[in-house]
Amino acid sequence: MGMTMTPDVTIDLAPNNPRELVLRNPVIPASGCFGYGQEFAGAIAVQRLGAFVSKGITPRPRNGNPMLRITETPSGMLNAIGLQNPGISAFIRKYPPMWESWDVPAIVNISAESVEDYEMMARRLDDVAGVAAIEVNISCPNINAGGFCFGWDADMSAQVTRAVRRATTLPMIVKLSPGALDIVEIAQAVEEAGADAVSLINTLVGMDIDIRRGEPVLANVTGGLSGPAVRPVALRMVYQVAGAVSIPVIGMGGIAGVEDAIRFFMAGASAIQVGTAAFARPNLLMELVDGIPAWLAEHGHGQLADIVGTANPRFLARREATPVADRGITERDFAR
Amino acid sequence: MATGQAAKLEFEAEVIRVDPVMGDAVLSTFVAPEGAVVASRPGQFVQILSRDPGSTDPLLRRPYSIYRVDPVASTMTVLVRPYGRGSAWLCRQPVGTQLDVMGPLGRPFEVRPKSQNLLMVAGGVGAAPLLMLAEDAVREGRQVTYLMGAQDETQLLPASELPEEVEYLVATVDGSRGHAGFVTDLVPEYLGWADQVFSCGPEPMFRSLREVVHRHRLGDRPDVQMAVERPMACGIGACLGCVVETRHGMKTACVDGPAFDMDEMLWG
Repeated sequence: MGMTMTPDVTIDLAPNNPRELVLRNPVIPASGCFGYGQEFAGAIAVQRLGAFVSKGITPRPRNGNPMLRITETPSGMLNAIGLQNPGISAFIRKYPPMWESWDVPAIVNISAESVEDYEMMARRLDDVAGVAAIEVNISCPNINAGGFCFGWDADMSAQVTRAVRRATTLPMIVKLSPGALDIVEIAQAVEEAGADAVSLINTLVGMDIDIRRGEPVLANVTGGLSGPAVRPVALRMVYQVAGAVSIPVIGMGGIAGVEDAIRFFMAGASAIQVGTAAFARPNLLMELVDGIPAWLAEHGHGQLADIVGTANPRFLARREATPVADRGITERDFAR
Repeated sequence: MATGQAAKLEFEAEVIRVDPVMGDAVLSTFVAPEGAVVASRPGQFVQILSRDPGSTDPLLRRPYSIYRVDPVASTMTVLVRPYGRGSAWLCRQPVGTQLDVMGPLGRPFEVRPKSQNLLMVAGGVGAAPLLMLAEDAVREGRQVTYLMGAQDETQLLPASELPEEVEYLVATVDGSRGHAGFVTDLVPEYLGWADQVFSCGPEPMFRSLREVVHRHRLGDRPDVQMAVERPMACGIGACLGCVVETRHGMKTACVDGPAFDMDEMLWG
């Protein structure tokens, strides 16, 4: 470890998967907050990111919810976009061919209302050039279970994960819902079912009321709360999950600066996603790309792995106890 | 490759003038990069971060129509009424403040090359994009009639802001100046004259304008473009928070608009 060298921030988010998901840095714009990538091309250098996650794709086209869809809250926002997207078929025709020439991994976020539809979409994406990985959004209602959210139930979460695993060898990230009674139980269930990594947290369900009209602000009544307001909740959940699974954890929820990102790494996240804060400041993504290695260097660390989980005794104990092959840590760890 | 571009949309901008206007509103003028100034078109907007440095509240930028650009001084001006927390913050910022601005953004008004007579219908701070449009149109030798409506005379755009070639008529709800009533009451007599109509203002004014235009349907009635306002997060078409329902599906106000053809929009 040399103080003058640029710290190593590369990371493999699917160390147990032969198709691997190697990122040049741990900074990933979150699903729903980055469109399909090209929207940000005029604002930032997209190819400098570690990866990016597409908007949520569904089996069929969706118009999304009526207006109003978004509203600002204290240090946060509520959204109820309603998964507006062109559907898997039109999506595959339009976006991956464009991404093929981009030097940055594109992760496709998928949402469905049945296990079969998740499986179908994963199968369709398996050999599509330009797709580096799948992120499975399990914060959706299961129409075969009375609309109960997949991600709130360990069995249903595992079923979805197994179905996607059957359908594709692509690296699979399962995105966890903070609405689960015990998010650790869900994380362990999807790890067991074959997830290569987990990402958390999705938004928290909230609402606002317009007291002048005497009605909910959002047409959908409820929406997903995101932004700095949710950060302490997200950090707590990342800390708990990272201490309970052996696969990489991708942390997100209210990250608005380099020091926020460092908190998530210390809690046990191997990478981070950034959403709401980049709406206001797209350049925040570039500040993180530059600022994370700068912070590491300033604090005498030669690599990002040096700080991952350092504030999380359970994470450190697990890493100590887990056989090398199952660790989810690259060879670089042993070159030190 | 488009993905390789450096940050061009976001810039630091020093406030160099703050002029009170229209009651409690201000015209805030800031220095902008030459590229952003010359690229700006009437109907486009900028997103301004409206909070103190280091704060995360208010979280989102606020969109403002571009009121005027000065390519010689390399400045932009926006019209801001202290309507919410973000706009109140911006109104308070004195000369010398460094703003964080993104833009120009969105699709501008579209003036057809052959249009000679342009009618503008403004409500409240909706006067802003039409001021820039009127200045451009006069420079290009077109005839402009600018109709403006407000609650009372203190809320009107001063005539001195407009080029003297512009015919400026006003309406106030309380009758303190001009026509007593709504600005859309003034529209019918210009419909036969206008080649195109441009409008910006509150939703009820849009609905009333649409009704007036449809009621006075002539053989060859002018097309009407409206610059809509929606709550926005990203301003660049990524979040899909600001959609407008149109005959051709969901469109974003930030990229496909703010200017839309009146008959393209679905009115519900």
